[in-house]
Amino acid sequence: MSMTATLSRPERERPAIWFEAVVVLGVAALLLGGVEVVSQWRQPLRQTVEIDLSVRALPGYALLSLARGWIAYFFSLLFTLVVASWAFYDTRARRYILPALDVLQSIPVLGFLPGLVLALVALFPHSNTGLELSCVIMIFTGQVWNMAFSYYDSLCGVPADYRMLGRLYGFKWWHRFLKIELPFGAQGLLYNSMVSMAGGWFFLSITEAFKLGDQDFRVPGIGSYMSVAIERGDVRAQLLGVVAMGIVIVVVDRLVWWPLVVWSRKFKMDDFGSGRINQPGWQRWLARSRAMQAATRRIGLWLAPLSAVPGPPPASPLPAATTATASSGRTARGIYYLLLAALLGALAWGGVQLTSLLTRVSVADWIEILRNTGLSFLRVLAAVALGTLWTVPLGVWIGLNPKLSSRLQPFIQFVASFPAPMIYPWILLLVLRTGGSLQWGSVPLIMMGTQWYILFNVAAAASAVPNDIVSCAEVLRLSGWRRWRKFLLPAVFPGLVTGWITAAGGAWNATIVSEYVQIGDKLYQATGLGAYISRATNDGNFPRLAAAVLVMALVVVGINRSLWKRLQVFANERCRFLT
Amino acid sequence: MPDSPPILIELRSVCHEYAAGSPENELVLSDVNLTVAERDVVVLLGPSGCGKSTLVRIMAGLIKPTRGEVEYRGIPLHGVSPGVAMVFQNFALFPWLTVRQNVLLPVGRLPAEEQQSRLTKVLATVGLGAYEQAYPRELSGGMKQRVGIARALIAEPEVLCMDEPFSALDVLTAETLRNEIGRLLASPEHPLRTMVMVTHNIVEAVYFATRIVVMATQPGRVDVVVPVDLPYPRDPDVPGFRAIVEKLHAILTRTNLPDAGEVTKVVTTEAGGTRRRIAPVSLPYVTPGEVLGLLSLLGDAEYDVFEIAERLGKEFGAIIRVVKASELLGFIETPGQEVRLTTLGRELVAASTENQRSIIRERLMQLKIFELLVRLIRVQPEHCLPDEELLRELRTALPHEKPRPLFRTLLSWGRYAGLISHDQRRHVIKLHHHEDPPPPA
Repeated sequence: MSMTATLSRPERERPAIWFEAVVVLGVAALLLGGVEVVSQWRQPLRQTVEIDLSVRALPGYALLSLARGWIAYFFSLLFTLVVASWAFYDTRARRYILPALDVLQSIPVLGFLPGLVLALVALFPHSNTGLELSCVIMIFTGQVWNMAFSYYDSLCGVPADYRMLGRLYGFKWWHRFLKIELPFGAQGLLYNSMVSMAGGWFFLSITEAFKLGDQDFRVPGIGSYMSVAIERGDVRAQLLGVVAMGIVIVVVDRLVWWPLVVWSRKFKMDDFGSGRINQPGWQRWLARSRAMQAATRRIGLWLAPLSAVPGPPPASPLPAATTATASSGRTARGIYYLLLAALLGALAWGGVQLTSLLTRVSVADWIEILRNTGLSFLRVLAAVALGTLWTVPLGVWIGLNPKLSSRLQPFIQFVASFPAPMIYPWILLLVLRTGGSLQWGSVPLIMMGTQWYILFNVAAAASAVPNDIVSCAEVLRLSGWRRWRKFLLPAVFPGLVTGWITAAGGAWNATIVSEYVQIGDKLYQATGLGAYISRATNDGNFPRLAAAVLVMALVVVGINRSLWKRLQVFANERCRFLT
Repeated sequence: MPDSPPILIELRSVCHEYAAGSPENELVLSDVNLTVAERDVVVLLGPSGCGKSTLVRIMAGLIKPTRGEVEYRGIPLHGVSPGVAMVFQNFALFPWLTVRQNVLLPVGRLPAEEQQSRLTKVLATVGLGAYEQAYPRELSGGMKQRVGIARALIAEPEVLCMDEPFSALDVLTAETLRNEIGRLLASPEHPLRTMVMVTHNIVEAVYFATRIVVMATQPGRVDVVVPVDLPYPRDPDVPGFRAIVEKLHAILTRTNLPDAGEVTKVVTTEAGGTRRRIAPVSLPYVTPGEVLGLLSLLGDAEYDVFEIAERLGKEFGAIIRVVKASELLGFIETPGQEVRLTTLGRELVAASTENQRSIIRERLMQLKIFELLVRLIRVQPEHCLPDEELLRELRTALPHEKPRPLFRTLLSWGRYAGLISHDQRRHVIKLHHHEDPPPPA
């Protein structure tokens, strides 16, 4: 069952629309408001890191990037365990935490990078600590959300009997955590950790080699190695960088994840399960497909139909488990309110700063931002549509052929893990060679990073179609378009929708890097919101940056809410197989 | 002399293996010859694992057999058979289509009026008229299977294949649906005349069949064909019906429950030059708990195997396995279809848990397969037998058994009796060291 143990829960009902807006604005206030303050007294304080393009330097860079990934992962894990448990045990907080996480994961984080970097550099003006921290935080934002949802889901999935047992034996909270909750969550957490590592890598070449205006905020690592190699047009170094990244992915997979996966099998609760074919490989794919995405990670909800085990019932409120002694309760409540007040204060302060930033954006700028948003929207749409056209037939084909999928799996898994922006210049050169411009050319760049998620989800959904249904369609001699319309498309539709959400969310994020590409000293730009954000970043024009990032975040959250979530509900109600 | 009806499906020397060519391969069907003529109702009857579901899928053209020929109306079959419709155990309805859309799937290419008239007729036949616009998930199991049957009937197939159509339903619903299919067969105007049905329910088989094909396991094969010549609709209480049920009981007992002497016979073969290898008789795939359960159920009484199956609401194949294992260990004897405890069996039931284990331990050591197991462990370095090694041995020594279920069975008995222990982390089996048990009471 691994990470799939869950089902739709009533408390996951849609939050009010104002709440989503508040979360977006809150994040914007904190991160972009920081820009405003910091930018006023910024000054070049530190020396720019020189990147050595020789082969000998590469292992060191790879290790540095790896270290950042693992540090970020450590914090992701910590955040996951704390926040998911909090959401589970505190019913009042849950109503806000879950929707907040849901919105946070769909915000295009890349846009908030400038604010983050400036704020942290200001905090540590004389060392690299601030930069390193911002890099780690960016990786963290690419890792944490799906882990948190997965662990929350497995907390809900702990059978009441086990909790009862814990109470009978008088388990303390840490005992309960170690003996009951963690073992139940282990598999799901592990699968999602693999995803998260891949997700964290995705924007490595941007976060490690960040430039703002005339300032170079570079940290040594494989991402910055790659970006310098691209800047200098050093093809040999580019190739080396790609190979090194590939080696890192494969080595981490083999040396860390694979042994852990084998070890975690002992936590499988449905030990000598049914005769159903178990496809751990597919689960990994599916997990991978959720890498990088910035759209939604309601993993449990969408994997539930694929799991052999019907989801556990929602956890009942556990009064006895949450009651603490009166005095410690009072202290805890005190801290709680203190933190809340601090958060509200920071939000208010950030809000004021943000407002002052936004008032400096002219009407003409707003109009340009909206026009650019429209164009980027069309690109995102085109990327998703084109991706769908070829990945759906292929996904169905491999999904229905277990032999084929096991053969293709390692390859596609690798592709999913590889940070696509690292090789954008190659693709772009290809596009330019064939006479295209970046206006159109950014569509394939966007697709590069996002179409895989449609492929995986469709393939996974196809592989989960019950054998009898496949046989039945054969006996009924469904063929041609009728076969697609009546059988295949509805059968994979839930997977397709999940793929779309992932791909579309990722596509918005990807516009920032694919509408604005620098190769050597040549700059290629397309008209679009992503390019607008990149340009504002480069010019150090913070009012424009704040406005554009805010618009992008609101658009993504708005589309999620108005279109994707509805489609998801429909797909789930109509196209799930009967159990 | 009247013309004999035309032959629709013909199977000649059909063999099928799963995972053919790999070491895990498994012979599911061996040398099956079978014909289905027009107006035949052929029922494939047998315990689970005899390949009856595979066989019906081969007839429908869904599975291509590894070897042998399949013909439909004298033409070799490639792909799905043209005249066949199928009803599935778990209904196989498309959840995104309404009842109406599900049922109309096979006739999508017909003109609209024709579709509508067929739909009305078929929905009336199965009693679904009021549910046309419902989605499958709104229906109960019985109603779902009615949709499945309607969908099969609407194409007016020449052969209707049904794979355990009633076994996913509760007893009462299954009975109702059975009666309705029986009525269809009885009504002279209904075009449905030819059926192939898979079941493990003996009464169900006699209720429908013109011919019952009794199948045996390991490997799956046709054992006997029993013709049934009773008029429809059939009444399970008439003597003719009961006689056939009795006859089937006898056949199934004979094929599945040979006399004790035959079972424990040791076969010695010459393999690999000088090394003599004993092909040990295998243990049926049951757990000690099941055997002990059967023994305490028996008590002083004497039961018919089929009676036990009925009382426990279990498939007879499953009961037969438990009976076989108990007999192999000498706890029961089975004169004919009857089952009763032996003296040792009585002793075992009365013994304390600890003594039960030591009795079972003694009996297990009489089995060649456990002798082999212990010997294998002893020849290993440090007396640790890797799981893989045992699986390999089982595969060579008992080519007709499924190695993994047998492996699990050996492990569960060996551990229960305290003969062996299993290290799940290192995947090795060791001898269990225990103090000498107190002598059996």
